[in-house]
Amino acid sequence: MKRESMKALLLGTLGVVAAMSLAMLASHVSPILGFNAFFYGAFGGKQEIAETLASTTALLFPALGIAIAFRAGLFNIGAEGQLLVGGLLAGWIGTRIEVAPALAIAAIFLAGAFGGAVWGAIAGWLKAARGANEVISTLMLNFIAASLALYLVTGPLRAPDAAGPELSLLPHAYWLPTLLPQTRATIALPIALLLAFALRYVLNRTWFGYRLRAAGEAPEAARRAGISLSRVALSAMAWSGALAGMGGAALVAGELHRFNTQLSPGYGFIAIAVALVGGLEPLAICVAALAFGALESGGLALQAAAAVPKDAIHVIEGLLVFALAARRYLGARGATTQ
Amino acid sequence: MTLSLVLSLLALALVRGTPILLASLGGVLSERAGIVNIALEGEMTAGAFAAALISFFTRDPWIGAIGGVAVGAAVGFVLGFAATRWRVDQIVAGMGINLICTGGAAFGLIFVFNQAGVTPQVPAINQALWPLVILGILLAAVLQWALSRTPIGLRLRACGENPHAARAAGIDPLAVRLAASAIAGALAGLGGVFLALGELNLYSDGMIAGRGFIALAAVIFGRWTPLGAAGVALIFGLLEALQFALQGNIAWLPSDFLQALPYIAALIALLGASGRYRPPAAEGKPYP
Repeated sequence: MKRESMKALLLGTLGVVAAMSLAMLASHVSPILGFNAFFYGAFGGKQEIAETLASTTALLFPALGIAIAFRAGLFNIGAEGQLLVGGLLAGWIGTRIEVAPALAIAAIFLAGAFGGAVWGAIAGWLKAARGANEVISTLMLNFIAASLALYLVTGPLRAPDAAGPELSLLPHAYWLPTLLPQTRATIALPIALLLAFALRYVLNRTWFGYRLRAAGEAPEAARRAGISLSRVALSAMAWSGALAGMGGAALVAGELHRFNTQLSPGYGFIAIAVALVGGLEPLAICVAALAFGALESGGLALQAAAAVPKDAIHVIEGLLVFALAARRYLGARGATTQ
Repeated sequence: MTLSLVLSLLALALVRGTPILLASLGGVLSERAGIVNIALEGEMTAGAFAAALISFFTRDPWIGAIGGVAVGAAVGFVLGFAATRWRVDQIVAGMGINLICTGGAAFGLIFVFNQAGVTPQVPAINQALWPLVILGILLAAVLQWALSRTPIGLRLRACGENPHAARAAGIDPLAVRLAASAIAGALAGLGGVFLALGELNLYSDGMIAGRGFIALAAVIFGRWTPLGAAGVALIFGLLEALQFALQGNIAWLPSDFLQALPYIAALIALLGASGRYRPPAAEGKPYP
């Protein structure tokens, strides 16, 4: 990560600590007790660390996907919908196949990737074929994915044995193995980390990555050099969606063990902030995802201890993003989303 | 379909479309001046929450409405200031502002009212609902005229197309962009006020429900013109109204499909309207 970005993040973090202290003082909570609750909630014990890692995983998949699109110059804000469609397909496949557990888990992840890829590719195709603004199309596809999922789980795909509108439970053998027993931290985390390394390699060392970055950083030059911007848009959006969809599959097989519409409390949106804070670099995004994962689980503990609502954590995340946006003012320049 | 049914459908369309219309007018102004406005959603949230909060404490809904507009303007000012003086990446800053506003409102609910999710009922200006609808449409017409036919409009557009040329002509692009962003915030804030105090009499978490982003879509579909954006915003309102009207009346059509109707329509419109979008040339680019 660039030095200036580090500086911006440091200043941002200081600002966040100050803002949190003020907020806690204002709600008559001792900041020392509050921070204690926050850090205990994020890192205090096996269960707490596992919660942090689970949130990290849930954010890491879509954040890596978002980085692919952003590096190609495509403002994909549709990770939430891509994650949902991927999770839906993963949850459906998981209840339909009867094979060895390892194969089944692979099939579940592939189904998630496929579902997300299709949803992302719709926006990519609209961009490639019709020049349609991807901000609008991915946003609309988020709403459509939510309605589609709701329709399917309340109607045609609803599990006969389920209490609420949801798909059937996956067979126990297909649940992702946990990293720490009795927790939500699963092997999805190492899978996501491997993907981050793979993505770094692909972006920096392959023709595909080169074309993608060229299209994002200097589209006119890339076009004149014979790179098809349409093809880049289509493939970048498909891969972007595939990673978000795998995130959905990880949530289905690792946490809920079935699909329902409560799969994601906005992971696809927070992941945009994660990707930006990580400077769109896969390995830095892993660190950012850990930080945001800790914010999510620490925020829950803070909510319990100090009645600070978990949504207020968004203020902190927003301040971090804002500080990062202002890093140019703090002396840096470099690739941005534009 | 009877005439009265059609009329009530159109009335509902106007009411559902107006908050989107107001925010989209703000979006047109700031984008024509050169500032990408992803933050409309946050500005609407801030306006709606502030309006309910101030109305609760002053017991005067009009002061609440003015406060909501002012807070929206303040948020727009922050975006404009960061975009002009700090040269931030406007999309990133806008996302940050959205997070801060939604989180801040959620925190404010606990902090002030000690309850999560929703404010108590507050004095409202429900009687001003229709005047506000008419105001929105008039504003669209006035802004259309002002942008295309007045010197101020020309200056504002110059800052969005070519700030260097504007500078050479004696215009201060930074000041114009800052002002446009603040006015955009005020308009989006008014959209939030419309929802919180016009249609309802409270603020609840998630009440903006993506309308700021829909307004952004209306800006682009409306090709960055006030009347175009207003028209698209009202079409979104009509689709939303249709969804209410059709719900339960057509047995074979799942209601979830109806909910997705405005968004599916937007996607189809994107298919048809290929290549006809040209954003302001200097949009999103920091100056100097």
